[in-house]
Amino acid sequence: MKKNVFLFFLTLFAIFFTGCQNNESGFPSSDNPTVVVSTKEIYGAPSRKFEIKAALADDLGLKSVEIQIPELSLDKVISFATDPLLKSYDLSYFFEVPANRGTSEAFKIKLIITDVSGNVVNEEANLRLDGEFAAPSITMVTPKEGAVILLSTSNQMPVNFVVNDDSGIDYVQVKCEALGIDETVQLTGSPQSYTFNKTYTLPVTAADYVLTITAKDKFAIPNTGTLSVNIVATNEYPALYLCDQPKGTNLTTDAVGVPMYFHEKSGQDFEFKYYADKDNKEIYFLGQESDFAPHCFGLNTSGELVDDVASTAIILPTKGYYSIKVNPNTLKYTATKYTPSSKVWADIANGLWHDDEALRRPFVSVCGGGIQGADWDTWTAWVQTGLHLANNPNNPYQLVGEYTLTGQMEATFTGQWWSPSWRLIKNGICTMSPGENGNAKYPAAAGVYKVVLDTELERVFITKK
Amino acid sequence: MKFKYIWFFIALLCTAVSFGQIKIKGTVKDKAKVPIPGVNVIVKGTSTSAATDFDGNYVINVPNKNSQIEFSFVGFTSQVVSVGDKTEINIVLQESSQALDEIVVVGYAAVKKSDVTSSISSIKGKELQTMTVGNVTESLQGKVSGVQVTGQGGPGAQPRVLIRGISTVNLSTDPLYVVDGIPMGTSINFLSNNEIESMEVLKDASASAIYGSRASNGVILITTKKGKVGKTRFNFDLSSGMQIMNNPYNMADAEGYATIMNKAYNNSGYSDYLPNPSQYKGKTTDWWRAGIKTGTPVTNASFGVSGGSDKHTYAISLNYYNSESMYGIGGWERVTMRIANDFKFSDKFSAGITLNPRYETWGAPGNWADFDKIDPITPIYKPADQLTGLENEYSIYARSPSYIWNPVAAVNRYDDYTDQYNLNTNGYLQYEPIKGLVIRTQASVEVGDKIWSKFTPDFVIDAAHEKAEINTIERRATNNVDWTWQNTVTYNKTFAGKHNASLMIGNTMEEYNGNDVWGYGEGVPNNSDSMRELNAATKNRNSGGNSWSSSIMSYLSRFSYNYDGKYYFTGTFRRDGSSKFMANNKWANFPSASVSWRILNEGFMEPTKDVLSDLRFRAGWGKVGNQNLPSAVYQSNIGQGFYIIDGQVVDTSYPSSMANKDIKWETVEDVSFGIDFGLWKNKLSGSLEYYQKKTHDMLFLKQFPTYSGFPGFSTMWTNVGSMQSSGIDLLISYKDKKGDFSYGVDLTFTTVNVEMLSLSSEGEKLYGASNRTLTVKGEEPGYFYGYVADGLFQNQTELNSHTDEHGTKLQPYAQLGDIRFKDVNGDGKLDDKDRTKIGSPWADYNVGLNLNFGYKNFDLVANFYSSIGNDIINQNISDLYNGASLTNKVNGLDQMAWHGEGTSNYIPRLSKDDNNENYTKFSSLYVEDGSFVRMKNLQLGYSFYNKFGLDKLRISLSGQNLWTWTNYSGVDPEVAGGDPNTGDRVKGSGFGGWNYPVQPTILMGLNVAF
Repeated sequence: MKKNVFLFFLTLFAIFFTGCQNNESGFPSSDNPTVVVSTKEIYGAPSRKFEIKAALADDLGLKSVEIQIPELSLDKVISFATDPLLKSYDLSYFFEVPANRGTSEAFKIKLIITDVSGNVVNEEANLRLDGEFAAPSITMVTPKEGAVILLSTSNQMPVNFVVNDDSGIDYVQVKCEALGIDETVQLTGSPQSYTFNKTYTLPVTAADYVLTITAKDKFAIPNTGTLSVNIVATNEYPALYLCDQPKGTNLTTDAVGVPMYFHEKSGQDFEFKYYADKDNKEIYFLGQESDFAPHCFGLNTSGELVDDVASTAIILPTKGYYSIKVNPNTLKYTATKYTPSSKVWADIANGLWHDDEALRRPFVSVCGGGIQGADWDTWTAWVQTGLHLANNPNNPYQLVGEYTLTGQMEATFTGQWWSPSWRLIKNGICTMSPGENGNAKYPAAAGVYKVVLDTELERVFITKK
Repeated sequence: MKFKYIWFFIALLCTAVSFGQIKIKGTVKDKAKVPIPGVNVIVKGTSTSAATDFDGNYVINVPNKNSQIEFSFVGFTSQVVSVGDKTEINIVLQESSQALDEIVVVGYAAVKKSDVTSSISSIKGKELQTMTVGNVTESLQGKVSGVQVTGQGGPGAQPRVLIRGISTVNLSTDPLYVVDGIPMGTSINFLSNNEIESMEVLKDASASAIYGSRASNGVILITTKKGKVGKTRFNFDLSSGMQIMNNPYNMADAEGYATIMNKAYNNSGYSDYLPNPSQYKGKTTDWWRAGIKTGTPVTNASFGVSGGSDKHTYAISLNYYNSESMYGIGGWERVTMRIANDFKFSDKFSAGITLNPRYETWGAPGNWADFDKIDPITPIYKPADQLTGLENEYSIYARSPSYIWNPVAAVNRYDDYTDQYNLNTNGYLQYEPIKGLVIRTQASVEVGDKIWSKFTPDFVIDAAHEKAEINTIERRATNNVDWTWQNTVTYNKTFAGKHNASLMIGNTMEEYNGNDVWGYGEGVPNNSDSMRELNAATKNRNSGGNSWSSSIMSYLSRFSYNYDGKYYFTGTFRRDGSSKFMANNKWANFPSASVSWRILNEGFMEPTKDVLSDLRFRAGWGKVGNQNLPSAVYQSNIGQGFYIIDGQVVDTSYPSSMANKDIKWETVEDVSFGIDFGLWKNKLSGSLEYYQKKTHDMLFLKQFPTYSGFPGFSTMWTNVGSMQSSGIDLLISYKDKKGDFSYGVDLTFTTVNVEMLSLSSEGEKLYGASNRTLTVKGEEPGYFYGYVADGLFQNQTELNSHTDEHGTKLQPYAQLGDIRFKDVNGDGKLDDKDRTKIGSPWADYNVGLNLNFGYKNFDLVANFYSSIGNDIINQNISDLYNGASLTNKVNGLDQMAWHGEGTSNYIPRLSKDDNNENYTKFSSLYVEDGSFVRMKNLQLGYSFYNKFGLDKLRISLSGQNLWTWTNYSGVDPEVAGGDPNTGDRVKGSGFGGWNYPVQPTILMGLNVAF
């Protein structure tokens, strides 16, 4: 009898429980949800995000949307809150196509929309990987970034640049608010290349300007490229640079130090300290950092200093350290050889420890970022012997090495436990500690670089190998 | 003449009566055949009684052969014997731990157990002595319901004792220990378990309120052994054995380490860290074997003499405890002596004095984790070609690139020890001018001297990272003189045969004084032992010193009343004045009241007495306080700081703390209800209690708001917030005897629920343990607070779908095999707001199971303890599994960690960079079930009685902590509170790491009595 009673209640509870389980949605029936995709043809490209856009709606409430591209391992479910119920939703979902996919591939994107009543609607769109997303490239011929226009010489600013785009160029726009320039060139025939060349007249007062160049292409989903160039119009040079590279050399491939920033400035009297690593070293003075134009100071046929891109190099006759003074207004310069008196960091870089402090041999390595193998730990600087600098056998004031840079770099050259150390600040200046605070960050292309730390000049030269 | 006849008949009658009586004589002894003086011998149903003499002998006349004689004595089970034809009856009384007439110490008094109305658990010293422990509370584990003891490994470590949970967040959670009536603070390391006669745990406020402002964490009363009337007895107890320290982890060998690290490097896009791992085969440095002893000795010995006459009783004991550390150097050694003398000058005057000199020395390295963490490729010593011969003995060790300091070298350099000398003198004088009125005065003086010495030798193992270029010497001497004086008057009276009343009033005064002096120096000419003195320092000598004092003055009273053994009432009142508080709150009152109804004594319960032996209901209420905050919080303090201004080091001052004249005690208000029962002559007995305690005016050290102008690190103690603890204590005991076989089972069960009721402001969040725990209103304090680790990304689809609704990756740096952290709030971002409760350090319940068996002369004791439902943060997970550091990892980690779909859903892929922050994000990865069951003790003994010229000889073999059942993968599931110095005592509970484990120990024991 007891057993029967037990079975009765067991069955009763089982029915109650089962009944509860079946009533899973708890919402009345409703119409199917609707979906409107913004485009059935979506363009993508390897290593690039594309957007899936759609407008979802339901008369009662949306429950979820599932986005599937099985070939690209995408199965994303977006669930919606049901308190309160969501009747419409603008889907905007970005997804990056894996890098190993080919541009000729195409896939189906499947959207599965479910509402709270359990109605399910499927929608599909096509994904093509042959999209063109590169913005038009803008190559400045003149003025280059940081260009200095010496108003006392000329108040004309020639603007010359080249635009390239695979899918064709729609228009090019040149703007400079301060100068009232707003010029749009609408191109016909969607050319893949266009050259802009025009000269503008500047006011005679010194000022800084920003020239903004915009170019838009003609792809189905248009791409826009923009470049801003900072220009200094001045009656005086804010800085001079010493360049020991032959004319025509690309001066933007180095990470730090080329051309070399001045050491002292008083009015327009600039002073450089410089090490000529060989006899008859050829140098120029530049009015800007990234190019030989527009201000390149060299010698004319009479051997006088001139501001002329066509000038010939100044020659330092013998190897050694020079103190060079130059005035770009008076066009006078002197180059005087001198013997350094700063501390010679000789015999370094072997890292040998000795209990007797006097017999210890320090090392100089680097801590920083963007340098392969280095971080901000001096222990790493020590154990990563590839980062250790060596004495330049030809110049006891120079420590030399070779680093692989991985991108934007910053550095402090250091011995054991930051003693000694040289912090690399702005303009390639690398003063021995304690010096100025704040490590400067230098953009650099990935690659192998030659490193020269000149402890006499307190400068670093990191140039592409 | 008439009178002659009268006298004749009287004499005749007496003779006739005498002729009808039987003279019975005999001896009463205990199980150890030791005579018991003072045993009550009563002829049942008559008023004839006698008592045993000094040698346990008695003589009594009984009316006839049908008479029954009852033998009774406190602490023993009474026996009734029929006379029959016997004229000599020798009795062996069995000790009883449950007898209702057992005396229980309740604070400034002792009462019969049956008269106790509050929640007090009593445990005999004998039960505590079954284990060999440095701190007796470790032996208490699982034996008392409502008491949670978390063991701490290591010589001299003090277990965490929580009585009915916690009632404070910022102050000490330790109970107050009172030894022979004298408050001794919150540590009991100084006491040998062999010195203890009994221990009473005052669990609720109605019991502990008599200790007022220091009783909020409960009070443990300890009564030490005293002499008894009888012949001189000697006893010698020795327990000696080995503590076992096995490596809790199977660490990788050199080849395995290289393989693991290479995989971590390769997975992060780097080339091999240690190319060609097979070259390291057979070249493993076995650090563990080099520095850790698998077995270290532990010894507990005691020699005692006791005895006395009616006028004078005495007990003298010499106790020794030694536990060596696993490093082979250092440990903890304690020598104590207790000389107790009690004098009875007359029926009215009595007095006693106890001297307790003590010596302790301790100190041991603490770097055992480093023996596992250091890489297995680095050799212990520098290779010969790297030695110049000029190094000192501490500089010959090799440097590990793993950043772990050479642990063998560190142990070799270790010189950091403390010696402590104490003398406690405790005396009393008692006068009983009329029956029932007792006037007592008791005083105690404690004098202590602690000397801490540390020497750090100079060494250079690595020029940049592992060196001390100059040696240092440091020494601190701390003295303390504490005194206590307490006076009580107690009057007991029974009115009209049924009204039993007792009134006690008294006052106490306590003063605690301390001072220290400290010296420091550098540049001792060499590191030899003989030069390790401050006077030898040649550079940077420095010194300091301070003194401190605190005092308490109190008035106290207790009134007890019961009617006919049925209805009981006890009320206590204490008024404390403390030097720690200023005028506004210098005095506080701590009242309590408790009632009990012994329903069994009601007439209507008479029919149940065949089954029921005891049934009683209890209820109690009381207020207690917690004043365990620094002595001088009422002062405004000036701090010292050094700043570099213009290149010069400038000595500066700043207001570091401000006085709060309104500061007062944390007050805990407590109610409890209980039922005590006994069945079948107390074969089955127990108690069940429910309690709830609320803490008001909790003490917090708060920072000043920025606008106040005080520096951000200036602080002030203030009374804010409240919390509540509640739970159930259950004790069930069963004991029986069948012939020569006796057995007993005690089960204790404890639950604790803790909840914060309010904090200083609405919505306030108190973080602890480096933001890894959170304390908020409505939740238990210090719960684990972090991200939810939702398994590992097994395939690309899982990785791709872990985005917000717009496809933005929640974990942009995640790769296959990394942890998927849960977007708990669903806002499409993974940030601080996704941290949530991921575990609790507080157990749902604790269970203790204590078994004892006896068969003839064999005895067996087994104690089990368990903690169920708590979580532990296993902080070692990062050390063992994280490829970002160069420390050694567990053996086979390259295969244990995720290395393909389905290979693991727990240990993330090996990675040098850990860009996904698998290990740096505090998440449920670290949370493990901390439940455990531990066999605390298993002891088998055999006793010889009256053999070899001895009264008793017992030998035993025991194992402590031999088995632990747990899912916790860390070192030891017994994990207590956090660092009190950072305010994490409660808020940092449950963080396991490389804590010194509670070690399995094998012991041999010898007990001799003669």
